[in-house]
Amino acid sequence: MTPTLEDLRPLSLDLALLLGAFAVLTVDLFLPHGRKRALGWLTLALLLGVFTASFFVDVSGPAFAGTYLGGPWALMWKRIALCAGALTTLASLDHVDRHFPTRQGEFYLLLLFCLTGMTILPGVRDIIPLIISFELMGIPLSVLAAYAKTEDKDGVHKHAPEAGLKLYLVSAVSTAITLFGLSLVYGMSGATKLDAIAHAQLSPLLSVGMLMTLAGLAFKIGAVPFHMWIPDTYQGAPTPVVAFLSVAPKASGFAALSAILLIAFRANQAPLASVLVLSIVASLLVGNLMALPQNDVKRMLGYSGIAQVGYMLIGLYTGTSYGVGMLLFYLTGYLVSNLGVFFVLEVVAPRRFGVDVSELDGLVRRAPWLGLALLMFLLSLAGIPFAVGFWAKFFIFMAAYRAGQTWLVLFGATMAIVSLFYYLRVARAAFMQPPATNETLQIRPALAAAIIVCLLGVVGMGLYPAPFLERAAAAAQAFLEGQG
Amino acid sequence: MGNFAHAHLLSIIVAAPAVAALVVLLLPESERLAIRMAALFGALCSLAGSIEVLRTYDTAQAGLQRMERYALVPSMGIDLSLAVDGWGVSLLLLTGIIITAGVFASFTLEERPKEFFALLLVLVAGVFGVFVAQDIFVFFLFYEVAVLPMYLLIGVWGSHGKVEAHGPFAFIWKRFDVGGREYAAMKLTLMLLVGSAAILVVIIAMYFAAGGTSFDLTHLANTKFPRELQLWAFPLLWLGFGSLAGVFPFHTWSPDGHAAAPTAVSMLHAGVLMKLGAFGVIRIGMMLLPEGARYWAPWVGGIAVINVLYGALSAMSQKDLKYIIAYSSVSHMGVVMLGAATLTVDGWNGAIYQMFAHGMMTGLFFALVGLIYGRAHTRLIPRMGGFAKDMPWVAGFFVLAGLSSLGLPGLAGFVAEFLVFMGAWQSAHSWWAIPGIVGAWVTAVYVLNASRTIFFGTGPSDEFHELRDAHGTEWVALWGLSLCLMLFGSYPRLILDFIHIATNEYLPKVALVADQLAVLAR
Repeated sequence: MTPTLEDLRPLSLDLALLLGAFAVLTVDLFLPHGRKRALGWLTLALLLGVFTASFFVDVSGPAFAGTYLGGPWALMWKRIALCAGALTTLASLDHVDRHFPTRQGEFYLLLLFCLTGMTILPGVRDIIPLIISFELMGIPLSVLAAYAKTEDKDGVHKHAPEAGLKLYLVSAVSTAITLFGLSLVYGMSGATKLDAIAHAQLSPLLSVGMLMTLAGLAFKIGAVPFHMWIPDTYQGAPTPVVAFLSVAPKASGFAALSAILLIAFRANQAPLASVLVLSIVASLLVGNLMALPQNDVKRMLGYSGIAQVGYMLIGLYTGTSYGVGMLLFYLTGYLVSNLGVFFVLEVVAPRRFGVDVSELDGLVRRAPWLGLALLMFLLSLAGIPFAVGFWAKFFIFMAAYRAGQTWLVLFGATMAIVSLFYYLRVARAAFMQPPATNETLQIRPALAAAIIVCLLGVVGMGLYPAPFLERAAAAAQAFLEGQG
Repeated sequence: MGNFAHAHLLSIIVAAPAVAALVVLLLPESERLAIRMAALFGALCSLAGSIEVLRTYDTAQAGLQRMERYALVPSMGIDLSLAVDGWGVSLLLLTGIIITAGVFASFTLEERPKEFFALLLVLVAGVFGVFVAQDIFVFFLFYEVAVLPMYLLIGVWGSHGKVEAHGPFAFIWKRFDVGGREYAAMKLTLMLLVGSAAILVVIIAMYFAAGGTSFDLTHLANTKFPRELQLWAFPLLWLGFGSLAGVFPFHTWSPDGHAAAPTAVSMLHAGVLMKLGAFGVIRIGMMLLPEGARYWAPWVGGIAVINVLYGALSAMSQKDLKYIIAYSSVSHMGVVMLGAATLTVDGWNGAIYQMFAHGMMTGLFFALVGLIYGRAHTRLIPRMGGFAKDMPWVAGFFVLAGLSSLGLPGLAGFVAEFLVFMGAWQSAHSWWAIPGIVGAWVTAVYVLNASRTIFFGTGPSDEFHELRDAHGTEWVALWGLSLCLMLFGSYPRLILDFIHIATNEYLPKVALVADQLAVLAR
């Protein structure tokens, strides 16, 4: 079957993104120093444009002989990625302009490549482009993580290179493991198409292949026991990048995991289920317990992210369309809450690699609205009502209960209370401690706008989750019914 | 406008404090008077609404009235549905009175009044919401909204009083700052949220057992849940809601929390919030899981008896004034749970009436304690003495609250305790009445003892030169609550009629019907 131009239609949004990335690159060549800030606005306009276009352009249907399948599922993931990208761009504008004035073009270029990988991946139905789009997402991220390499002048702590290198090495190793696993899977099934793999006979070698694939992807999302890179990377990368880093690989990882687990391995899930449960329990335990003693907020958020992955995995583990839909909703809620917290940190401690809890002391007296926003984000992460995080956790628990996993509900709810302890510790610093300095906080308008959007998301979806919820559920249903 | 307000009165009652909170947040910090007036306006709106609801509740028709329903998550059957029954009517009124009194009691608060009033109003919006919610999920949402602001209210505005670390575990006490306000705030929040987790699990279980289509309370109440589910779910609900109601042994957050909290927060917390817990046990636990309730009633009642006695005895041994009142709350909430566990008409009437009466009484107590502490700068009773010379009215009100607390006829507390003990006597476990009455006697000992030491006898010594009687806005809370205590004590039918209607409707579904017919005929 020869590819035709029609095959590009389902991928038109991703192509637009890619062309936009090249446009940013070209414009960068002609912009004089000192005017590079415009690139950020260009990127933002591009992302918003593509986001708007996603509501008008029809991108459903198969492409390239079923290698790619557009539909509600892929579209929802695309929008999540575009939102994350737009918010990150908005929050990075000033950071990038101030700290890397000459290297702005590459920053946005890398971000856009990463986003292109993220938007293509959920629709992919073949393991080879799956890995390629995953790497398109992953490799630029390691560069972004090391972006502050020259910032750290004292030469003792090389946080930024450490962050970038750790991320790169972990990505490379995990990709290798995934590829090895997938090559075994290919050997046993003779197919690279996900739905064709589903027909393979279960054999020990196939199980090994599946387990290795799972392990490789677990690295990416930072599920225990493959979580070690997360805290260090979070601590060392520039804060806006960490914000993106805390969301992008998780989103892509879950998109890939859903496709592989629920399509390719659907018939042969038995050997994976127990491993998945172990990983869920371990992620919830390790993430929550290790977050407790952290004094560095970024590290704490890293560990808390591991715990959040545990909750999301519950949705995946149920394997029902309801559970997967709730995973999607959870991710949406996690995105706005987590980005919000990091953006607040960016305001409070713009140049720091680690952010000690005490730096947030008395935040509410220095900037009342910022303190309130921080509180809402933390409550959302902890899963407290009238913030989106509550609905997210609640729906995940509903899915688990419906799938007969009552004990997971109890365990997850207990762990949510443990999490409250460290989230409230940050709130305590912001609300109950006297301010460490009386310096007024400079909040740049762009960053403020990003925080406001996050806050609106957290509160808006918290007050009226129905439209998002129904979209997520519909997307998951379409996905599991093979409509993309 | 009039029609709109009339049709959406319940929404308005719930929303008024929340809107006032938003207004308070938007006002600049320097406009202190405007902030206070906005808070007061929100509270008064709700109070007026509550009185209107009480006035217009159709006692002949009974049942749920003023139904309002808005879809929240249609695909799962979550509706924001509000309505009142006879219990809701009385508890709304209680909340309205307490929040108004609370705003007056903290009218002169100096430290960051803006955030304080905003949080206080959000909290009270949650309380109103719980009492009118007819969807178990929305019930839970409001419940959480009522519980969580407490963390900041205690942690930021709480008092500095600390418990001296001693004993073999002193080093742990020091490490965790036991008795400090942040310790109290964290302890309270974590303990109550463990309870919430238990509640959430049961809500999910009930939702699916009832077909997975609706969270509506009436729908769930009409569903006959399997016995097995009822038997494991009821204790979880009892633990979850009970931890807020101060049920032994999950009451330990309460003395620390109440002692550390600022005046208005203690008033609201002991006066209204603990009632949410007891209300939850009855309204959700007993009514939705009747078999579970019957099976576990001996345990619930037995532990309530421990509450009554243990709370009273602990109060007797305290030297800190706030801890006395806090432990007396634990004891009085035991009376509520005891009334609930009797599964009799009198017992349930008494339980709800005790919520009402104890809310007024403990609100008055905490308002007075705040006044005394603000002037004496100590809460240690042994150091006080002869305060009545300088603050005669405060002394008078304190004794009045104390008399209601120990159940003097003519005051609201008597009506409630009398009904509960009557219910206990009629129940399958008549012996419950005896320790209950002993508890009331111990209450008399510690309340009278405290009143004597603080207000009468020698003194006051020179260190208490700032003592003076209440003045300005402080009078409002004191007079208002005292008059209510006397009014509802001498003419209980004002509220009891409404409570009785709801009890009559609900109880037959829970208790064995045959037992009830005899009681009703009497």
